[in-house]
Amino acid sequence: MNRALGWLAVIGLAGGLIMAFGVAPREVTQGNVQRIMYLHVPTVLVAYLAFAVVLVASIAYLWRRDPAADRLAHASAEVGVLFTGLTIVAGAIWGKPTWGTWWTWDARLTSVAILFVMYLGYLLLRGMIEDRERAARYSAVLGIVAALDIPLVHFSVYWWRTLHQPPSLLKPGPATMSQGILAALLVNIVAFALLYVYFVAKRATVLRREEEVPA
Amino acid sequence: MTADHWGFVLSAYGIAAITLGAYWRHLCRRDRELAEQPSQAAPKAGHPRTKPLGSVQR
Repeated sequence: MNRALGWLAVIGLAGGLIMAFGVAPREVTQGNVQRIMYLHVPTVLVAYLAFAVVLVASIAYLWRRDPAADRLAHASAEVGVLFTGLTIVAGAIWGKPTWGTWWTWDARLTSVAILFVMYLGYLLLRGMIEDRERAARYSAVLGIVAALDIPLVHFSVYWWRTLHQPPSLLKPGPATMSQGILAALLVNIVAFALLYVYFVAKRATVLRREEEVPA
Repeated sequence: MTADHWGFVLSAYGIAAITLGAYWRHLCRRDRELAEQPSQAAPKAGHPRTKPLGSVQR
Protein backbone atom coordinates (compact mmCIF):
# COMPACT_ATOMS: atom_id res chain seq x y z
CA MET A 1 0.00 0.00 0.00
CA ASN A 2 2.75 2.41 1.09
CA ARG A 3 4.88 1.40 -1.89
CA ALA A 4 2.00 2.02 -4.33
CA LEU A 5 1.40 5.43 -2.74
CA GLY A 6 5.09 6.22 -3.10
CA TRP A 7 5.10 5.35 -6.79
CA LEU A 8 1.92 7.39 -7.33
CA ALA A 9 3.64 10.37 -5.68
CA VAL A 10 6.76 9.92 -7.85
CA ILE A 11 4.64 9.76 -11.03
CA GLY A 12 2.67 12.79 -9.86
CA LEU A 13 5.84 14.79 -9.14
CA ALA A 14 7.33 13.84 -12.53
CA GLY A 15 4.09 14.99 -14.19
CA GLY A 16 4.21 18.18 -12.13
CA LEU A 17 7.76 18.94 -13.31
CA ILE A 18 6.76 18.34 -16.94
CA MET A 19 3.76 20.65 -16.52
CA ALA A 20 5.81 23.34 -14.72
CA PHE A 21 8.75 23.41 -17.14
CA GLY A 22 7.36 21.97 -20.39
CA VAL A 23 3.70 22.91 -20.64
CA ALA A 24 3.05 26.06 -18.58
CA PRO A 25 3.79 29.24 -20.55
CA ARG A 26 6.45 31.77 -19.59
CA GLU A 27 4.74 34.41 -17.44
CA VAL A 28 4.64 37.85 -19.09
CA THR A 29 5.72 40.17 -16.25
CA GLN A 30 8.02 37.96 -14.11
CA GLY A 31 9.51 35.69 -16.77
CA ASN A 32 10.60 32.13 -15.96
CA VAL A 33 11.28 32.87 -12.28
CA GLN A 34 7.48 32.64 -11.82
CA ARG A 35 7.87 28.85 -12.26
CA ILE A 36 8.82 28.76 -8.57
CA MET A 37 5.07 29.20 -7.99
CA TYR A 38 4.50 25.53 -8.96
CA LEU A 39 6.56 24.59 -5.90
CA HIS A 40 5.68 27.44 -3.51
CA VAL A 41 1.86 27.32 -3.77
CA PRO A 42 1.42 23.50 -3.61
CA THR A 43 3.73 23.22 -0.58
CA VAL A 44 1.84 25.87 1.38
CA LEU A 45 -1.56 24.36 0.47
CA VAL A 46 -0.37 20.92 1.55
CA ALA A 47 0.96 22.47 4.78
CA TYR A 48 -2.55 23.90 5.41
CA LEU A 49 -3.95 20.41 4.80
CA ALA A 50 -1.37 18.84 7.13
CA PHE A 51 -2.20 21.21 9.99
CA ALA A 52 -5.95 20.79 9.40
CA VAL A 53 -5.39 17.03 9.79
CA VAL A 54 -3.46 17.74 13.03
CA LEU A 55 -6.49 19.73 14.27
CA VAL A 56 -9.00 16.96 13.45
CA ALA A 57 -6.76 14.14 14.76
CA SER A 58 -6.04 16.10 17.96
CA ILE A 59 -9.77 16.59 18.63
CA ALA A 60 -10.32 12.88 17.88
CA TYR A 61 -7.53 11.94 20.31
CA LEU A 62 -8.89 14.06 23.16
CA TRP A 63 -12.34 12.62 22.56
CA ARG A 64 -11.54 8.90 22.05
CA ARG A 65 -7.98 8.58 23.45
CA ASP A 66 -7.10 6.49 20.40
CA PRO A 67 -3.29 6.25 19.93
CA ALA A 68 -3.81 5.95 16.15
CA ALA A 69 -5.27 9.49 16.13
CA ASP A 70 -2.25 10.72 18.09
CA ARG A 71 0.15 9.03 15.65
CA LEU A 72 -1.70 10.64 12.73
CA ALA A 73 -1.47 14.09 14.38
CA HIS A 74 2.25 13.62 15.12
CA ALA A 75 3.07 12.39 11.60
CA SER A 76 1.00 15.12 9.94
CA ALA A 77 2.59 17.87 12.06
CA GLU A 78 6.09 16.68 11.14
CA VAL A 79 5.31 16.57 7.41
CA GLY A 80 3.50 19.93 7.71
CA VAL A 81 6.60 21.52 9.25
CA LEU A 82 8.69 20.10 6.39
CA PHE A 83 6.35 21.58 3.77
CA THR A 84 6.09 24.93 5.58
CA GLY A 85 9.88 25.13 5.66
CA LEU A 86 10.00 24.48 1.92
CA THR A 87 7.32 27.15 1.37
CA ILE A 88 9.38 29.72 3.27
CA VAL A 89 12.63 28.84 1.45
CA ALA A 90 11.00 28.78 -2.01
CA GLY A 91 9.21 32.06 -1.22
CA ALA A 92 12.47 33.73 -0.14
CA ILE A 93 14.22 32.56 -3.33
CA TRP A 94 11.30 33.85 -5.41
CA GLY A 95 11.20 37.11 -3.43
CA LYS A 96 14.80 38.12 -4.11
CA PRO A 97 14.53 38.63 -7.90
CA THR A 98 10.91 39.90 -7.84
CA TRP A 99 10.75 42.06 -4.67
CA GLY A 100 14.48 42.71 -4.30
CA THR A 101 14.62 41.09 -0.85
CA TRP A 102 14.80 37.56 0.59
CA TRP A 103 12.56 38.43 3.52
CA THR A 104 10.32 41.19 4.78
CA TRP A 105 8.23 41.32 7.96
CA ASP A 106 4.90 41.74 6.19
CA ALA A 107 1.72 40.11 7.50
CA ARG A 108 1.76 37.02 5.23
CA LEU A 109 5.41 36.15 5.72
CA THR A 110 5.31 36.82 9.45
CA SER A 111 2.15 34.73 9.99
CA VAL A 112 3.70 31.83 8.04
CA ALA A 113 6.87 32.11 10.14
CA ILE A 114 4.71 31.99 13.30
CA LEU A 115 2.90 28.92 11.92
CA PHE A 116 6.27 27.23 11.30
CA VAL A 117 7.57 28.05 14.79
CA MET A 118 4.34 26.92 16.50
CA TYR A 119 4.39 23.47 14.90
CA LEU A 120 8.13 23.20 15.47
CA GLY A 121 7.25 23.87 19.12
CA TYR A 122 4.59 21.15 18.88
CA LEU A 123 7.25 18.65 17.79
CA LEU A 124 9.68 19.83 20.50
CA LEU A 125 6.95 19.49 23.14
CA ARG A 126 6.34 15.89 22.07
CA GLY A 127 10.04 15.15 22.30
CA MET A 128 10.42 16.74 25.74
CA ILE A 129 7.75 14.75 27.58
CA GLU A 130 8.68 11.14 28.26
CA ASP A 131 5.23 9.84 29.19
CA ARG A 132 3.61 9.19 25.83
CA GLU A 133 0.04 9.68 27.04
CA ARG A 134 0.84 13.03 28.62
CA ALA A 135 2.81 14.12 25.52
CA ALA A 136 -0.16 13.16 23.34
CA ARG A 137 -2.61 15.09 25.55
CA TYR A 138 -0.53 18.29 25.76
CA SER A 139 0.38 18.28 22.08
CA ALA A 140 -3.26 17.67 21.10
CA VAL A 141 -4.19 20.90 22.92
CA LEU A 142 -1.33 22.74 21.20
CA GLY A 143 -2.32 21.23 17.83
CA ILE A 144 -5.83 22.67 18.23
CA VAL A 145 -4.64 26.12 19.37
CA ALA A 146 -1.96 26.39 16.65
CA ALA A 147 -4.54 25.69 13.92
CA LEU A 148 -6.06 29.12 14.67
CA ASP A 149 -3.11 30.61 12.76
CA ILE A 150 -4.10 28.92 9.46
CA PRO A 151 -6.98 31.36 8.62
CA LEU A 152 -4.76 34.20 9.84
CA VAL A 153 -2.09 33.18 7.29
CA HIS A 154 -4.56 32.79 4.46
CA PHE A 155 -6.54 36.02 5.02
CA SER A 156 -3.57 38.17 6.10
CA VAL A 157 -3.22 39.48 2.54
CA TYR A 158 -6.78 40.87 2.75
CA TRP A 159 -6.70 42.10 6.34
CA TRP A 160 -3.37 43.96 6.17
CA ARG A 161 -1.46 45.85 3.51
CA THR A 162 1.23 43.39 2.39
CA LEU A 163 3.98 43.04 -0.18
CA HIS A 164 2.75 39.52 -0.84
CA GLN A 165 0.20 39.09 -3.62
CA PRO A 166 -3.39 37.91 -2.87
CA PRO A 167 -4.05 34.13 -3.03
CA SER A 168 -3.77 32.46 -6.46
CA LEU A 169 -6.37 29.84 -5.44
CA LEU A 170 -8.86 29.39 -2.58
CA LYS A 171 -10.42 32.79 -3.16
CA PRO A 172 -13.91 33.92 -4.16
CA GLY A 173 -14.66 34.03 -7.90
CA PRO A 174 -13.05 32.22 -10.85
CA ALA A 175 -9.27 31.82 -11.19
CA THR A 176 -7.69 34.80 -12.94
CA MET A 177 -4.63 32.99 -14.30
CA SER A 178 -4.28 31.45 -17.77
CA GLN A 179 -5.45 27.87 -18.39
CA GLY A 180 -1.89 26.56 -18.90
CA ILE A 181 -0.63 28.05 -15.63
CA LEU A 182 -3.73 26.86 -13.74
CA ALA A 183 -3.41 23.30 -15.11
CA ALA A 184 0.28 23.10 -14.12
CA LEU A 185 -0.54 24.41 -10.66
CA LEU A 186 -3.36 21.90 -10.13
CA VAL A 187 -1.20 18.95 -11.27
CA ASN A 188 1.51 20.00 -8.81
CA ILE A 189 -1.01 20.42 -5.97
CA VAL A 190 -2.26 16.85 -6.56
CA ALA A 191 1.35 15.56 -6.77
CA PHE A 192 2.39 17.21 -3.50
CA ALA A 193 -0.84 16.03 -1.82
CA LEU A 194 0.04 12.45 -2.84
CA LEU A 195 3.54 12.92 -1.47
CA TYR A 196 2.04 14.23 1.79
CA VAL A 197 -0.22 11.16 2.11
CA TYR A 198 2.75 8.85 1.43
CA PHE A 199 5.00 10.59 3.97
CA VAL A 200 2.29 10.62 6.66
CA ALA A 201 1.48 6.93 6.12
CA LYS A 202 5.17 6.03 6.31
CA ARG A 203 5.82 8.20 9.39
CA ALA A 204 2.74 6.81 11.18
CA THR A 205 4.03 3.27 10.51
CA VAL A 206 7.43 4.22 11.97
CA LEU A 207 5.73 5.73 15.06
CA ARG A 208 3.67 2.55 15.57
CA ARG A 209 6.82 0.43 15.33
CA GLU A 210 8.61 2.72 17.81
CA GLU A 211 5.80 2.11 20.31
CA GLU A 212 6.06 -1.66 19.83
CA VAL A 213 9.83 -1.85 20.35
CA PRO A 214 10.74 -2.48 24.02
CA ALA A 215 12.55 0.47 25.62
CA MET B 1 12.06 41.57 -21.68
CA THR B 2 12.22 40.36 -18.06
CA ALA B 3 15.33 38.53 -16.87
CA ASP B 4 14.59 34.85 -16.27
CA HIS B 5 16.72 34.19 -13.16
CA TRP B 6 17.08 30.47 -13.91
CA GLY B 7 19.60 30.19 -11.07
CA PHE B 8 16.89 31.10 -8.55
CA VAL B 9 14.43 28.64 -10.13
CA LEU B 10 16.93 25.76 -10.08
CA SER B 11 18.00 26.61 -6.50
CA ALA B 12 14.39 26.47 -5.26
CA TYR B 13 13.66 23.15 -6.97
CA GLY B 14 17.08 21.74 -6.03
CA ILE B 15 16.70 22.54 -2.34
CA ALA B 16 13.18 21.05 -2.36
CA ALA B 17 14.41 17.85 -4.06
CA ILE B 18 17.32 17.42 -1.64
CA THR B 19 15.14 18.10 1.44
CA LEU B 20 12.31 15.78 0.40
CA GLY B 21 14.78 13.08 -0.67
CA ALA B 22 16.65 13.32 2.65
CA TYR B 23 13.39 13.05 4.63
CA TRP B 24 12.29 10.04 2.56
CA ARG B 25 15.65 8.31 3.16
CA HIS B 26 15.44 9.09 6.90
CA LEU B 27 11.97 7.47 7.09
CA CYS B 28 13.08 4.38 5.12
CA ARG B 29 16.20 3.92 7.26
CA ARG B 30 14.26 4.29 10.55
CA ASP B 31 11.59 1.87 9.29
CA ARG B 32 14.28 -0.70 8.38
CA GLU B 33 16.04 -0.32 11.76
CA LEU B 34 12.78 -0.85 13.66
CA ALA B 35 11.75 -3.80 11.49
CA GLU B 36 15.03 -5.54 12.39
CA GLN B 37 14.54 -5.08 16.16
CA PRO B 38 12.49 -7.58 18.21
CA SER B 39 9.04 -6.15 18.89
CA GLN B 40 6.59 -6.59 21.74
CA ALA B 41 2.84 -6.82 21.20
CA ALA B 42 1.28 -3.38 21.13
CA PRO B 43 -1.32 -2.76 23.84
CA LYS B 44 -4.92 -3.00 22.63
CA ALA B 45 -5.89 0.45 23.88
CA GLY B 46 -4.04 3.44 25.23
CA HIS B 47 -0.39 4.35 25.02
CA PRO B 48 2.42 2.24 26.44
CA ARG B 49 3.25 4.12 29.61
CA THR B 50 6.78 4.93 30.60
CA LYS B 51 7.94 4.00 34.10
CA PRO B 52 7.37 6.65 36.79
CA LEU B 53 10.41 8.64 37.85
CA GLY B 54 12.44 6.90 40.56
CA SER B 55 11.29 3.37 39.71
CA VAL B 56 13.90 0.68 40.30
CA GLN B 57 15.02 -1.83 37.69
CA ARG B 58 14.86 -5.34 39.23
